[in-house]
Amino acid sequence: MTQPTSAPTQANTTPAQSAVAERLADIVGERHVLSRPSELLVYNSDGLPGYRRQPRLAVFPGTREETVAVVRLLADEGLSFVPRGAGTGLSGGALADDIVVIGLHRLKKIISLDVQNRRATVEPGVVNLRLNKHVAPHGLLYAPDPSSEAACTIGGNVAENAGGPHCLKYGVTLNHVLAMTVVLPSGEVVELGSKVGERDGYDLRGAFIGSEGCFGLALDITVKLTPRPQTVRTLLADFTSIDQAAHVTSAIIASGIVPAALEFMDGPTIRVVEDSIYAAGYPRDAEAILLIELDGLEAGVSADLEAVRRICIDGGARNVKVARDDAERMKLWQGRKKAFGAMGRLAPHLIVQDAVIPRTRLPEILATIRAIGEKYGVIVCNVFHAGDGNLHPNIAYSADDPGESERVHKAMTEIMQACIDAGGSITGEHGVGLDKMGYMEAIFSESSLNAMCELRAVFDPERRSNPGKVVPVHACKEWNAVSGGRLRMGASSPVDAHEPRPLEAEPPHPSAT
Amino acid sequence: MSTEAVVSAIKDSGKTRSPLRISGRSTWLDAGRPVRAAKMLSLRDDSGVVGYVPGDLTLTVRAGTPLSEIERVTREHDQWLPLDPYGSPDGTIGATIATASAGPLASSFGLPRDLLLGLEFVNGRGDVVRGGGKVVKNVAGFDLSRLLTGSWGTLGVITEVTLRLYALPKADRTFAIALKGSEKEVASLVRGIVMSPLTPFALQLLNPPAARTVGLGEHPVCLVRFGGNDAVVRAQVSALSQIARPEEVDAAVWTRFRQLDGNAHTMIRIVSLPHRFLATSARILGDDVPGIYTCIDPRRGVLRIVVGIDGENGDGDTPAIAVSADFHKDGAESSEVIFEKLPPDLWRGVSPSVVQDVLSQRIKRAYDPHNILNPGILGD
Repeated sequence: MTQPTSAPTQANTTPAQSAVAERLADIVGERHVLSRPSELLVYNSDGLPGYRRQPRLAVFPGTREETVAVVRLLADEGLSFVPRGAGTGLSGGALADDIVVIGLHRLKKIISLDVQNRRATVEPGVVNLRLNKHVAPHGLLYAPDPSSEAACTIGGNVAENAGGPHCLKYGVTLNHVLAMTVVLPSGEVVELGSKVGERDGYDLRGAFIGSEGCFGLALDITVKLTPRPQTVRTLLADFTSIDQAAHVTSAIIASGIVPAALEFMDGPTIRVVEDSIYAAGYPRDAEAILLIELDGLEAGVSADLEAVRRICIDGGARNVKVARDDAERMKLWQGRKKAFGAMGRLAPHLIVQDAVIPRTRLPEILATIRAIGEKYGVIVCNVFHAGDGNLHPNIAYSADDPGESERVHKAMTEIMQACIDAGGSITGEHGVGLDKMGYMEAIFSESSLNAMCELRAVFDPERRSNPGKVVPVHACKEWNAVSGGRLRMGASSPVDAHEPRPLEAEPPHPSAT
Repeated sequence: MSTEAVVSAIKDSGKTRSPLRISGRSTWLDAGRPVRAAKMLSLRDDSGVVGYVPGDLTLTVRAGTPLSEIERVTREHDQWLPLDPYGSPDGTIGATIATASAGPLASSFGLPRDLLLGLEFVNGRGDVVRGGGKVVKNVAGFDLSRLLTGSWGTLGVITEVTLRLYALPKADRTFAIALKGSEKEVASLVRGIVMSPLTPFALQLLNPPAARTVGLGEHPVCLVRFGGNDAVVRAQVSALSQIARPEEVDAAVWTRFRQLDGNAHTMIRIVSLPHRFLATSARILGDDVPGIYTCIDPRRGVLRIVVGIDGENGDGDTPAIAVSADFHKDGAESSEVIFEKLPPDLWRGVSPSVVQDVLSQRIKRAYDPHNILNPGILGD
């Protein structure tokens, strides 16, 4: 069982790589370093199908000290790496193309819980839902609730600035993280933000959140906890047309009521959920449903509930059902949270998209999406955070059918373009990663992208942390001027042979262009 | 004034290496640290709405737009920007974001960083940069909006911002509770209010000089603002009445409260763990020295000390400085002491810079390589 690794399985492992693996094993223990291609297969994708990259090595530190030592060793060797949480991301952001994966799931201590001040400090590998279960007995919750909450980690949430249905009212990860201890790619350890929530100077905490693993790794994260609302009420409104549901969404937002969540599912999504083990009792013949949650003090919620019910009915809802108890609420939510999984029933592959539009444009954009689907003969399933205007048009298809693949990709590109043209964004919560990089130049100017490159260079002058993600390399015109021309060590090492190279150096930029 | 004009002003200054003092409408010009700049770049004339679709609850304005103008424009559509920094309502939104200034509403609606969706700025090389976007949820690219918020103009001149708006609440009522009795009684009343399930828009504790100045009598006062639909406000007022004796007061009290500062020479903000203030607020509020105003937001954990011209003079030993020194001793773990304004000669005695760390230094060098944007305002 514990025989030394045999030569044949390491056929493509070079001596330099073995040496690095051995030194990593010295830090974390042999069983926490993987180098055989077969073992590494698990780490060659994330939650988004369609991208595969094979890492060279994977290392899983078990303590904060081991993590810092691993990062320092990689810095000394000039090796690139990708931090990885639970691998549930939906942008290809956690993929390591022939470089080192630093898996952080073993760092799962809840370091402290301060009930009085409503704060918790956790290690990056703590699973989102576990933190919530831990604080629930104290009448508290950690508000960001991505649909992958049962598996995804707080560290990953920080890297992606994760959202979730309830961020409509409560805000995204950015609004709930107060401070972090971070190990920079150089191995230096820094404190960002402040546990009291505010500090003088640049908001480095804000800059780090959503940096998609390009700025380093968080060793601990201090989050703000929220008191559980006194009352929670969940409504299900169903419609015979998508357009009606879209107009009702806009009307609720315009009314000024801020629901805790306002979720939209269209006919194809409803039916696939109802066919699955996650069946929630949604009306199968509806063309759209809205799942609306209101929370807060009992008196206020009751009044808002009536107002929302009225808007739904005036807007053409066939039925408005209010969940009677927690069990019924949970069932309604289960169908929504597992909708992506249920789509696996339709076809072997699924494109998950994540775009944001101004909320008043919802009826028009949903009509456009339907027309694009018809044009290319693909079925688009829309299940999304309507209250934020955060769309998730998904297309189930078979990647093995080249003709279908091409039509699906063309349809998606057109859908994204429509969202951009409406003044929207290319990602509301999944991140750019690999998947959205091609759209960055459609929404940001050259100088804006360059400013992002410069910010990355501040945290990671050698660009070794999650290289080749978020901002297209060719957008980084200032690269060498900022990095001070420091050469990367170990550039000849086979492990980082695939690292994107800096572009040709430009002279330091004068004030005039 | 336009983005192009800002670009050309910055490029000119870059060529001659002559630093610029970046300013909005100069309503709070001497608040920060001393700035080494001979020339002023004012955004005063770069004002107005760029885009406003009320149904989206988002607003894009030029940076020189006064907060009072934003209030006027949004009120026409029964909306508001729930951001109420201290000082004059004629101050600009650009300066508010650049200085990350917030007021009593922050405990419910968040800090400027939480209300900002995106911005345009011109960096120290004269490049026009945009961060974030115009929609309410967005994670595209690295977060330049947060980076610029609170950077006091040292990384770029903010020229345009997009903000999240809210609907004006149907009901918006303010109550004052006189905090009479012994220190122990006051402490228990404050604890009762803060720990209750009430969700006020704002909650502030004022010491007697502050209460007097805003017209609320001789005792320390708890000022509470409830907003929302009629039912939720009524329910909260009735719940509050069971533990205290709230008296309804005119909402204009908040305007006076925000301008307590008047001609103050010293303003210090101490941010600490909220619970600490529950234990100490009664004692802090008991201080009744003319001209020294202390206000506590016990839910957010913020104590603000304002020393007016009729208070102690700025010889380095004011009670305010002494209190803040007390908090300083605890170390950064449990409190941050932020100097909003000090007499010039006192700056020497406080931390020489809040941007000394290696990351901040690198950011400054990258965004303002000639060091021409507000040099010295955050220290060096």
